[in-house]
Amino acid sequence: MFGSIALFELRYQLRNPVFWVAIVIFFLLTFGATASPDIQIGSGGNVNVNSPFAILQTQLVLSLFYMFVTTAFVANVVVRDDDSGFGPMVRSTQVTKFAYLIGRFSGAMLAALVAFMVVPLAIYVGSIMPWLDPETVGPNVFSYYALSYLQFAAPTIIMLCAIFFAVATMTRSMIYSYVAVVAFLVIYISFNVIVSGEPEYRDTAALYDPLGLAAIFNETRYWTAAESNSQLPEFGGAILKNRLGVLVVSVLALALAYWRFSFAEKGVSARKAKKLAQKAEKLARTQPQTVATLPATSPETSGWARLSKTTRFEIGQVLRSPAFAVLMAMGLFNSITALAFGNEIYGTAPVPATFSLLPVLAGSFSIIPIIIAIYYSGELVWRDRDRKFHEVIDSTSLPGWAYMVPKTIAVTLVLLSTLLISVIAAIAVQAINGYLNFELGKYFMWYVLPFTVDLVLIAVLAVFLQALSPNKYVGWGLMVIYLVGTLTLAGMGYDHPLLLYGSSGPSALSDMNGDAVGGSVNWWLRLYWGGVALIMAVLAHLLWRRGTETRLAPRLKQLPRRMASPAGALALTGVLTSVGTGVFLYDQMNVQNTYRTEEEGEKLRADYEREYAQYIALKQPSITDMTLKVDLFPEERRMEASGTYQMVNDTGAPVETLHVRLPDTETKLLDVEVPGATLEKNDERFQHRVFRFDTPLPVDATATLSFTSQRWHKALATNGYGRRMVENGTFLDNSEFAVQLGMNRSGLLVDRQTRREQGLDPELRLPKLEDESARERNYVGNADWVNADITVTTAADQVPIAPGTRVSDTVEGDRRIARFQTSNPVLGFFSVQSARYEVETRDWDGVELQVYYDPHHPYNVERMLDAMQASLGYYRANFGPYQFDHARIIEFPGYASFAQAFAGTMPWSENLGFLANLADPDEIDYVTYIAAHEFGHQYWAHQLISAEQQGGTMLVETLAQYSALMVMKDLYGEDQMRRFLKFELDNYLSSRGSEAIEELPLERVENQGYIHYRKGSVVMYLLQDRLGEERVNAMLAGLLEKYRFKSQPYAGSSDLVEGFFSLARNDAERDLVRDLLQKITVYDLAAEEAVVTELDDGRFETTITIAATKYYADGEGVETEADLADEIEVGLFTARPGGAAFAAENVIMMERKPVTSGEQTITVVTNKRPTYVGIDPYNKYVDRNSDDNLVATS
Amino acid sequence: MLELKNVSHVYSNGVRALDDVTLIIPKGMFGLLGPNGAGKSTLMRTVSTLQTPTAGSITFDGLDILAEPEALRKRLGYLPQDFGVYPRVSAYDMLDHMAVLKGIGSKGARKDTVETLLNQVNLWDVRKKAIAGFSGGMRQRFGIAQALIGNPDLIIVDEPTAGLDPEERNRFLNLLAEIGENVVVILSTHIVEDVADLCPNMAVLVNGSIKLKGAPVDLIDRARGTIWAKTIGRGELDDYKTRYEVISTRLFAGKTIVHVLSDTDPTNGFEPVDGGLEDVYFSTLAASRRTTDTAQAA
Repeated sequence: MFGSIALFELRYQLRNPVFWVAIVIFFLLTFGATASPDIQIGSGGNVNVNSPFAILQTQLVLSLFYMFVTTAFVANVVVRDDDSGFGPMVRSTQVTKFAYLIGRFSGAMLAALVAFMVVPLAIYVGSIMPWLDPETVGPNVFSYYALSYLQFAAPTIIMLCAIFFAVATMTRSMIYSYVAVVAFLVIYISFNVIVSGEPEYRDTAALYDPLGLAAIFNETRYWTAAESNSQLPEFGGAILKNRLGVLVVSVLALALAYWRFSFAEKGVSARKAKKLAQKAEKLARTQPQTVATLPATSPETSGWARLSKTTRFEIGQVLRSPAFAVLMAMGLFNSITALAFGNEIYGTAPVPATFSLLPVLAGSFSIIPIIIAIYYSGELVWRDRDRKFHEVIDSTSLPGWAYMVPKTIAVTLVLLSTLLISVIAAIAVQAINGYLNFELGKYFMWYVLPFTVDLVLIAVLAVFLQALSPNKYVGWGLMVIYLVGTLTLAGMGYDHPLLLYGSSGPSALSDMNGDAVGGSVNWWLRLYWGGVALIMAVLAHLLWRRGTETRLAPRLKQLPRRMASPAGALALTGVLTSVGTGVFLYDQMNVQNTYRTEEEGEKLRADYEREYAQYIALKQPSITDMTLKVDLFPEERRMEASGTYQMVNDTGAPVETLHVRLPDTETKLLDVEVPGATLEKNDERFQHRVFRFDTPLPVDATATLSFTSQRWHKALATNGYGRRMVENGTFLDNSEFAVQLGMNRSGLLVDRQTRREQGLDPELRLPKLEDESARERNYVGNADWVNADITVTTAADQVPIAPGTRVSDTVEGDRRIARFQTSNPVLGFFSVQSARYEVETRDWDGVELQVYYDPHHPYNVERMLDAMQASLGYYRANFGPYQFDHARIIEFPGYASFAQAFAGTMPWSENLGFLANLADPDEIDYVTYIAAHEFGHQYWAHQLISAEQQGGTMLVETLAQYSALMVMKDLYGEDQMRRFLKFELDNYLSSRGSEAIEELPLERVENQGYIHYRKGSVVMYLLQDRLGEERVNAMLAGLLEKYRFKSQPYAGSSDLVEGFFSLARNDAERDLVRDLLQKITVYDLAAEEAVVTELDDGRFETTITIAATKYYADGEGVETEADLADEIEVGLFTARPGGAAFAAENVIMMERKPVTSGEQTITVVTNKRPTYVGIDPYNKYVDRNSDDNLVATS
Repeated sequence: MLELKNVSHVYSNGVRALDDVTLIIPKGMFGLLGPNGAGKSTLMRTVSTLQTPTAGSITFDGLDILAEPEALRKRLGYLPQDFGVYPRVSAYDMLDHMAVLKGIGSKGARKDTVETLLNQVNLWDVRKKAIAGFSGGMRQRFGIAQALIGNPDLIIVDEPTAGLDPEERNRFLNLLAEIGENVVVILSTHIVEDVADLCPNMAVLVNGSIKLKGAPVDLIDRARGTIWAKTIGRGELDDYKTRYEVISTRLFAGKTIVHVLSDTDPTNGFEPVDGGLEDVYFSTLAASRRTTDTAQAA
């Protein structure tokens, strides 16, 4: 009996459309994530798309979304019989409660388990697709698929089935079951948010996370690519306990369902009965308003009533459907979470300015209205037929338009209102954060209006496809294909917005520059696609199924005849609109601008490399003086530049040819003159010109060069008007307006896969550390030390800025003209900026500190000035003189999120520091941190510049990080540094797994951010801690002394490594320097137990059990254990280090103790009783589990 | 007056659902009687402009409804054989919605229409309830209420009494009788009593063609003297079926009463009966079966 009921149920579910829809969606999602580089669920880098970790991670993440499907399966079991009226019949048979309930549950659960198998299947199918880069695919091992499914996905699905089955049994309602799903998600995600912020809860979370994600991520947090590619997490410990717990929960939920389930229907409660009676009585009191003769119809005059009433009716149909509430709840939940945490930098949320919230809102919420548009378009088109009401409707005098038009308006209004609701959520988030400047206009113009149009375009497509499809599942399926297409086609080269239905081009918002970058191209494209949508709407209207003829062919045959109508005229309008705007946009994008697909762009760069990389080593004269004039016309998005270079042949040999180039494709190189040389080759494709000196330029001889260039975003490009030369907030660097001498590596393809596809050597590696000849070139595009004289002109209401001392600044007519001259040599690497700025100035110690900011963003200006002041103080005292009489931080629009250091001049994104909300002292003060880092570059880059070889960035970025850490230590005290270090450490460890080439030791870093910034910070902090801050600073000052403003040979990381070795006083210190700088060393230090006993003299003896291990890793992350013999800090505290409240008075003792590999005990005696004890408590070591360094005493 | 001339319809799968149907339907109730699958619903849908026949013409008061379906729809009330309802919509709201669709634009006229009709079909008390929860009879009454919106000249009701209990069926037929005086009402059914009770005119449709048409009274008259009855044992039925033209059998108190068709007295204990419409109908069906059998034998 049980078996046959379960089988029956399984067969029933297999015929259920939900089953097949789920299979299609989950297959496509997974397949896309595996086979298309544009869709990603996790991993990346050197982790294979079919690595055991990727298989596992994909299944775990998708099981979260699968909750909606399992609920459909199991709730259907309970609700179906009541809905269909079949219930009493079934329940009156001999079937036992157990067989009926659990049998059917088992069938539905089996169906859910079977359907989810498409996920591993799709990974397999995806991994054998021929276009995949073979380097990203590992061997397909059956057991990885089977074990990850059986051990991880299956128990989760069983539990989800059981829980929501219990809910459905108790509520007997599909709606409440889905409400429970949403509630579950809300609680689950809040739980995760809390836990992810508090590392000490991680072990607890590992046990109790019902989806098992916490347990697995705990285990695999710092896995390297090698580990991820070769193993699943061990099925034991917390993971095993968690999985068993999940099954126990499943059994309990089923037992609850069984206990609460009753065959008999419950009667209504007395209270409810009374309420119902009252309602009935009230109804009965009203008498109908009757007439003897019914009013006649007047179809001719009821057009408006038909439109408005039907629209309202259709809206009601959507709003009252349970799925709508579920979707809205999901969307709001997701977007509020994203709005509250989405823009965090260093764990700190920014001031929630509208322009920065809108992309987050769009990203997190818009999937919901897209689903609504697609789902309800199908429902509205098919509802009458599904409900068998179409014969009634179709035989009324309803005119044809009254089908399509009200439904379209209804969907539009529903979409508009969902967007408005999400705006309310966003405003609520702003209000909660105390941001009360509600910019409703921006919400409307930048979000509600454009997205409504975009969504209506999707809805019209959906309606059109539904009108053609034989049933709504086919229509929905076609829409899923469309959605996947929008995600994947761009990656396959079809990225022109005139080709992809509904694409409206780039969107880039900024408080400084509004929507000027993408706004107009967006609206033109919407008009273009709107015309197409109009054609489709008319076709859908003319092809509408009226009556019982459902086949497409007869309707198609009638189409030409029906086109001769007002509807046909509308279609013609659509055609004219699309063709008109299409021609206009094609001219703008492809004729006036150059359009390249991503692949064509890559090919161009590859060709450039093939043709000109041979000249990288060609020695060229050095520039000594640059005179530049940059005229900006912001309102026209136009720039005219001209310049003259003086150069000297310092190569030691006569120079025969001069390579002059401006590879930026957006800027036109108009003219280049080199007196005494003739143009030998003018390669227009790459704007690369080769001049041959009439007589080779002798050693130490000088030459001059002059050029003119122009950048003008006159016509709309596929990416709008570009993001650099803009109406307000122009930020150009010299590679965008001035010529460079000689070839270099910048701008060449880097990504391995792309390089392979283009037939290039997959790795464009830097010269090895041992390559002394590499010291001839520096890593900033081999820019020379020059004297610069830059004149920038711009609109009168804007402030022009470039590096150098401002020697004049005048307004002439409608132009503002400023001239900047350098007082000592600077790297020939310049920025030019212009915007309507406010300026805050502070004179300190002979230096003019300035912040140029948008008037809306005053929040952190004082903090930036303080940071510059503190940096200047520390660096002057420890590293040497500061070379300028000014230091400027200048805001630029948030089209990118970075800060950059030019000579004395530091452009800084409005998204990065200007909006940081540091009101809460618990937040990491990254504004000061970044300001100190960029200021550090005034020494480490603008005084000492390193060679273009392995380890080059260590001298620039690692030392800037170190400088910033020292400033932070000065400001916040040593005991607060753990927060910064832990952030850097976690970032380093978790980035190792996504390394694409190989991890290198610090001294050989090849421009890898996670090494030179993150690991660099931790390593440098430990070194100064061990070797002494002052000794380290003295050594660094020596390096500066040696290399300040010097050209080739440039400094290399070996200079720094030698410096550290010279500071080491014993073998332990020498080993440490070697391990930190020359090897990839990972430690695992743990405090296991600490026992405190009070001694007779009133003091406290603490015995600490610690475990210590040291590993050496290779570039792939394969680790081998090494002997540890070092002196490591042991600390005793009266509070847990790491919080903002933790301060120096909580430290009882901090001392270095000898530590060796393995378990050992350390005993110390103190005057105060410690509550927390730790080894390396401030996380100065590269400790792969830094959360177990502290232990509470007992 | 509705006129159908040589109307034929062949479905795409080759089924000939209507075969040269010619009918003239005057004002008043008209019964279209036929077994399941005879093509009644096809005929009803065709007249309701929901599908276009393969051949033939249909006019209503001179209006060519195939050429101008829109014009007929303004004057049409249609209750299909099988219709569903929207979830979560009350009877009142749904009827109001239908009134809009049928072109009653003004709010006041709609209120009059909806409330009068709800009262007329006795659904006033349950007007705020979702139709999805209605019983079959209530649902059919709602169906007729929507068909009556705007005083249509042509009302088509397809199998409205199927599945109703006797009381509901009576109530429904009374409703129809009330409205069927001044307009054309076509009632399609497979239940003979519906037609016998209500319709001054009728036709019998079998296998897509009209086998019989006229006023029930005339048809009964014509059949008089050709129907004979006998009560036999249950075991004897097969024997009788081969020997006589059995048009219907009926169980009564454990015995079988057979009705046979014969122009002369079949003797052998048969008694003449005053054939009702039922006998007329069944004899038509029997005749039709005979032709089909012969056709197949040939």
